[in-house]
Amino acid sequence: MEHRDYQELVTGYALDALDPSEERALSEHLKLCSECRAELAQMRETAASLAHAAPAAVPGDHVRQQLLQSIRSESPPAQARPAVVPIRQSSGAWTTVMRLAAAVAFVALLLGVIILWRRDAAARKELARLSNQVGAQQRELQTEHDKLARQGEALRLLTSPEAKTMELAGTNAVQSAHASFVYDQRSGQGILMIEGLPPTPADKAYEVWFIPKGQSPIPGPTFTVSDGQALVSHTLPSEARSPAIVAVTLEPKGGSEAPTGPIYLSSPAS
Amino acid sequence: MQAGPSKIDDHDLLRAVSRGDESALAEIYDRYRLILFGLILRILNDRHEAEDCLQEVFLQVWRRAADFDESRGRAFTWLVTIARTRALDRLRMWRSRTRLITPNEEPGVSEAANPRDDMLVSEQGEVVRRALAALPEEQRRALLLAYFEGLTQSEIADRLGDPLGTVKTRIRLGLIKLRELLGEGARSLY
Repeated sequence: MEHRDYQELVTGYALDALDPSEERALSEHLKLCSECRAELAQMRETAASLAHAAPAAVPGDHVRQQLLQSIRSESPPAQARPAVVPIRQSSGAWTTVMRLAAAVAFVALLLGVIILWRRDAAARKELARLSNQVGAQQRELQTEHDKLARQGEALRLLTSPEAKTMELAGTNAVQSAHASFVYDQRSGQGILMIEGLPPTPADKAYEVWFIPKGQSPIPGPTFTVSDGQALVSHTLPSEARSPAIVAVTLEPKGGSEAPTGPIYLSSPAS
Repeated sequence: MQAGPSKIDDHDLLRAVSRGDESALAEIYDRYRLILFGLILRILNDRHEAEDCLQEVFLQVWRRAADFDESRGRAFTWLVTIARTRALDRLRMWRSRTRLITPNEEPGVSEAANPRDDMLVSEQGEVVRRALAALPEEQRRALLLAYFEGLTQSEIADRLGDPLGTVKTRIRLGLIKLRELLGEGARSLY
């Protein structure tokens, strides 16, 4: 394509209305072409003014109250953490402690994965020996074994140079929840590491969704949570190999074909 | 929005937000809630969802204010872009189910706390609506489908049964014409 062809894509790009292949092509060109970048900045300003075409509307007062409450219970923006933690707000300090504890727990989980992976071979032998023992224990051991294998797989993926990571944040319902989705675009192998989700109600399950740009959500695996954490591995179907958004909703047990329940986790749109 | 003599500039406010200043976030909220809520409500067409989304947008502003780069555009554009993106994410999430329609609930322009802000919002709205009205019908329709429904040019072509090339041209000409018209009519307001 020539410069002129790219120029013609700029308006569609400013409205996020290009098809993925065009979008990729122009993204590459923009890195090199300051003229197109300047044009895009102007077109984005113009596109943003379209917001005025919607009639202004007044949100309920509770939105402002809840917003200010949420930011008070949250640590300050990442880029500018104050050196001093305000101790006088005991609830704030407690929240900080809880968040720290959650972070430590998550690191511990990751460390656990690494240690388990290192011990994988030994553990397999040990499991094999044990599994010869009492028959009643056998199924439980098999589960352990599978878990180890899954975690080993997770670690290989985490350390692969091909792996991509998406961060999922908790929605308003569960702001303390967080997840990381690591996946390999080539093989489609993916793993979702979740922390801070409330325990799954008996008749429900969490369901993962992969949403390619401009398309309907593609259902992923379902999982349940008892102690806030979960590790879900999944092979992405080919049509979801480069999801724009990954999200988690609460669905009836057994999962749904399309999301019906509240959103608990979602990655930001790019 | 032009900073009046007593008003702190949007950029300074966002800088204060990035340092963790809660009152600066409250001020940004009060300045932009009407226009942003109007936008989100237009996209989602459900008051409850839209309020939830609005709160999410400002939480993102709180967390990511340091990312705002004034050399790349106005604060208004940055805020509107976050709001539109968040609202369209939600829309896509729910679109597979049903379009959220609440026919009895008209997203009306109701009373506001600060008459000056309200006046500015409606003045700017008037300028944009006038400019849009000056565009050919097909161009306007394609622009609004892309902006408020989050459709790609191909999807718009499918929806309207028009050739893709035609849709691309309409969007391109429409946005360029809009830029011209807003350049003439709205400079004083921005």
